[in-house]
Amino acid sequence: MRFHLLTAFLFGFTAVTAQDRFTLSGYVKDASSGEALIGAGVYLPEIQKGTSTNAYGFYSLTLERGTYTVNTSYLGYGDRSMSVELTADKVIHIELQPRAIIAQEVTITGKDGRENTESTDMGRAELDVQQVKLLPALLGEVDLLKTLQYLPGVKSNGEGNAGFYVRGGGPDQNLILLDEATVYNASHLFGFFSVFNADAVRNIELIKGGIPAMYGGRVSSVLDISMKEGNDKTYHAQGGIGLISSRLTVEGPIARERASFLLSGRRTYIDVLTKPFIPDSSAFAGSGYYFYDVNAKVNYRLNDRDRLYLSGYFGRDVFTFANSDPDAPTFRIPWGNATVSARWNHVFGPKLFMNTTATFSDYRFEFKADQELFAFKLFSGIKDLGLKVDLSHYASVRHTLKYGGQYIHHTYTPSTVEARSGNTTFDILAPSLLIAHEGALYVQDEFDLTDEVRINAGLRLTGFAHVGPFDEYLIDDRGERTGTRSYPGGKTVGSYMALEPRLSARYRINERSSVKTSFNRGQQYVHLASFSSIALPTDVWIPASREVKPLIGTQYAAGYFRNFLDDMVETSVEVYYKDLRNLVEYAEGAEPQGNGNANFYTQLVFGDGYSYGAELFVKKATGKLNGWVGYTWSKTMRIFPDINGGREFPSRWDRRHDLSVVAVYELNKRWNFAGTFVYATGQATTLPVNRYFVEGNLVSEYTERNGFRMAPYHRLDLAVTLNNKEQRKVKDKATGEVTYRMRRWRSSWTLSVYNVYNRANPYFIYFDNEGNVADGSLRVVAKQVSLFSILPSITWNFKF
Amino acid sequence: MKHNVLPLMLATAAALFLGACEKEITVEVPATEPRLVVEGTIEPGSPPIVILTRTQSYFAPTDLNAFTQLFVKNATVTVSNGLVTVTLDMVCSSLLSDEQLLLVAQATGLDPQLLASADICIYSTTNPAIFGQEGGVYDLHVEAEGHTLTSTTTIVPAVPLDSLWFSLIDQDGSDGDDSTGFLWARSTDPTATDNFYRVMTRRLNLGTDGLAQDPTFAAPLGSTSNDEFFNGQAIEFIIARGNSSFSDPDDRGSTFLRGDTVAVKLISIDKATYDFYRSYENNVATQGDLFTQPANVRSNISGGLGVWAGLHAFTDTLVCEP
Repeated sequence: MRFHLLTAFLFGFTAVTAQDRFTLSGYVKDASSGEALIGAGVYLPEIQKGTSTNAYGFYSLTLERGTYTVNTSYLGYGDRSMSVELTADKVIHIELQPRAIIAQEVTITGKDGRENTESTDMGRAELDVQQVKLLPALLGEVDLLKTLQYLPGVKSNGEGNAGFYVRGGGPDQNLILLDEATVYNASHLFGFFSVFNADAVRNIELIKGGIPAMYGGRVSSVLDISMKEGNDKTYHAQGGIGLISSRLTVEGPIARERASFLLSGRRTYIDVLTKPFIPDSSAFAGSGYYFYDVNAKVNYRLNDRDRLYLSGYFGRDVFTFANSDPDAPTFRIPWGNATVSARWNHVFGPKLFMNTTATFSDYRFEFKADQELFAFKLFSGIKDLGLKVDLSHYASVRHTLKYGGQYIHHTYTPSTVEARSGNTTFDILAPSLLIAHEGALYVQDEFDLTDEVRINAGLRLTGFAHVGPFDEYLIDDRGERTGTRSYPGGKTVGSYMALEPRLSARYRINERSSVKTSFNRGQQYVHLASFSSIALPTDVWIPASREVKPLIGTQYAAGYFRNFLDDMVETSVEVYYKDLRNLVEYAEGAEPQGNGNANFYTQLVFGDGYSYGAELFVKKATGKLNGWVGYTWSKTMRIFPDINGGREFPSRWDRRHDLSVVAVYELNKRWNFAGTFVYATGQATTLPVNRYFVEGNLVSEYTERNGFRMAPYHRLDLAVTLNNKEQRKVKDKATGEVTYRMRRWRSSWTLSVYNVYNRANPYFIYFDNEGNVADGSLRVVAKQVSLFSILPSITWNFKF
Repeated sequence: MKHNVLPLMLATAAALFLGACEKEITVEVPATEPRLVVEGTIEPGSPPIVILTRTQSYFAPTDLNAFTQLFVKNATVTVSNGLVTVTLDMVCSSLLSDEQLLLVAQATGLDPQLLASADICIYSTTNPAIFGQEGGVYDLHVEAEGHTLTSTTTIVPAVPLDSLWFSLIDQDGSDGDDSTGFLWARSTDPTATDNFYRVMTRRLNLGTDGLAQDPTFAAPLGSTSNDEFFNGQAIEFIIARGNSSFSDPDDRGSTFLRGDTVAVKLISIDKATYDFYRSYENNVATQGDLFTQPANVRSNISGGLGVWAGLHAFTDTLVCEP
């Protein structure tokens, strides 16, 4: 293998082309909108080989001279089959019809029924956005991240937490890319909703194991989200009115079949809805909460070889607490993300595809409190500027080489505090901006060793440097500051470099089954440190530096994949072991403002972790009844010398059993029914075991971190969607003849019921005490807080 | 204290918009061996005072008898200043006169009524050779019930209060409240050293029973701070009213009333003592708080829990008039 990889390196461009081989290449597109189809399968049954389109819908197959049947398929679209006589290089753009608008009698087979067993991919899952929209959702807000949590190996931390946890990794270990720009906080409203507006999303793909070398920077998973490009043929609008928010998306051609745009917005109106209940005379008039987000994208096809894209996301959550009493404090807490990506696709030739992306990401959190006598402001954030070049070389149908490089300039503000009390302004030194450079080079080679064995091998070289200007405070053993060491601008404070090997292999047993295995190691140069037991916008991103080592993640996985019923049912069993080094937590008893602008790492402690588990997955992607069942058995532990007395303890997202069932039943073109069920072992939590008294106050003594288990979490949600009639009657006035025409205006009602059997799932448990110990009136109780009881909601959606 | 505002806001938001519900449940708590807890102090010109108690299971009975059983008797407690080592005497409340009880209450912060109604023993001495002195370093050694506990503390120099004043909350008179206000203080933090503080208050106004309104000095939660953000500065700050946890709290929070006579202690402590009080106050204040990671109190006692604290107080008194 090593030799083969080396050959690929050395002779990548020239070695494999023989004279009697020609290349078939082009784009796969949606016939109605011109949108590129990402990951569409292009399969040649005669030679039992195929490929799938890349993130821009491009495919390339280099084959021997001959006549081939080319079958193209994509989830939610009708298949297309054509015969191609290959006697020279050929460019063929293939258009597929969306399933929704093709006649009933056309047979639709699964998309990558074959992909499941053929590819080297492991732990990879794609969501069909159309299917997600049919699923029940909390308050009717379609949520892609919540749906991901129904996949095996992906766990939520219960309600109120849009962070997701992949195979024992923390929420910061997921690389969330929106059109290739990093999204640092993917949640709205303290985690109840995710930032991705399903109307603006084309494709969503999660990789939880065998992460290819082209991705890096996070150790547990990659969530690659592509925004829609916009219809380049006709203008369309779609939107919806829900219980708590409304959405509107418009798209259309700027220049027909050359350039298009998409603009999508969403805003909640909880603040508007609650306003009538807070009279203007109330002291709290003006208090409220809302979030909004905007997605925008334009693309322009310069010619057959060059295409430009510009896309952006902007979202903010704003929480205000006003008080008409001038003496009382007011609060304003805004936070959110912004991303911009500019991309240039260039096809050098039928075999060589290049993409260059410039990205900008910004995440910020602010907390402002004002009162006559004091003021307090806390700010934290992160800002990235990046540039990346990726090349794909489709050497032959048996061999694809990808290579490229990436550079990111990071600016972190871990936590800056400003405070004033009376006439005293607190001495908050200079804001501790941290500057860092991150770079990567990679090469990955996917090739068939034999007809049975396919290998995807890659190497990624990564480097990271935290550079000045930076003032480091020197702290003695007693924790007292003794001086300052200043690093001038550009001088390295701490730097790291690593070679990350990635390998996955597939052995085909027969047409319907295969065995796969993968190994990957990655380094992560940023940590998310959380003060609380749930993910909050106050969590702080902390870069690697001299004192903060990068997180190193290694994962081993193996699986058996088998298809049944003509590839209609895909199944898999995967086992994994993941090892995590240099995890970061706040020290026990650390306080958000505790070290203000002192060394940003002072309150951190470091440790390791591991996770192993088995995942079962059965999926039926097509048919009237479709959906999946996922079950995970897993164990996730942490070992920190400075936490829990150095004893191993379960991670917050350690769940022994986790079951998800997702089902959609399409009764007919008008009625759809959907249901989801989840069951998970109770969350681990820390509760006191003993109590004692100091100054008459009850003090809690904790023994084991996460030593208690809450009650199991389970919930059933149901939804029903009613579409308006697809056709309308047209009566010819002259002849009286009645014909049916497709409606342009489509609308639907979705009734969604969350937590159907009204289970009081634990959100958190705490021990409370009231009364006075001295007179014997003390009372100590355990309380469980649950968030959502049965919660119906209705949403109206339209499209034209 | 300020950082507690954010969780409060978030919790309010969650409750307001999403209607959380709460119920009592039963949680099985594993049984563990009790540990010993020290509450020991030493101040300049005063004898060391050590209160020794035990931990108990979280859901153990909460009646008064169970509480008084927590006090450890017949321990061997010694304090050394490097020159002399003195064994402290056990002082039990059942043997004291009412006047002595009041003195013990003031010295220990224990409720005088509690001392009167139950036999509670503490450890101290009348030997002036071991009375506290500025700059002194004091070793504590405790032997009790098979446990050995040790600790060391330092009495650091006191930092004076430059002035105290009283300021009404309702400055513009819009709320028609002309008596509730905050107690403000000004102090100048020494530049050369890292300083750690604790603030305590006591209302001296005589009640109908002829006793001071607050029987003892008490510290509000959030009384502990360090000079990280104001090293070497003259600072102005609000002094919250300490509510003895043995007395029933009123609804006026951290405020004082016009006419209150308030004694204020600005106590200088060393870092280990600061770490204890800071983490103790957080432990108490964040019970049941979802937004913080539960944390044990950072003790400076090896072999047990609690604190051995050298205190150096600067005391001033103010009659509250705006």
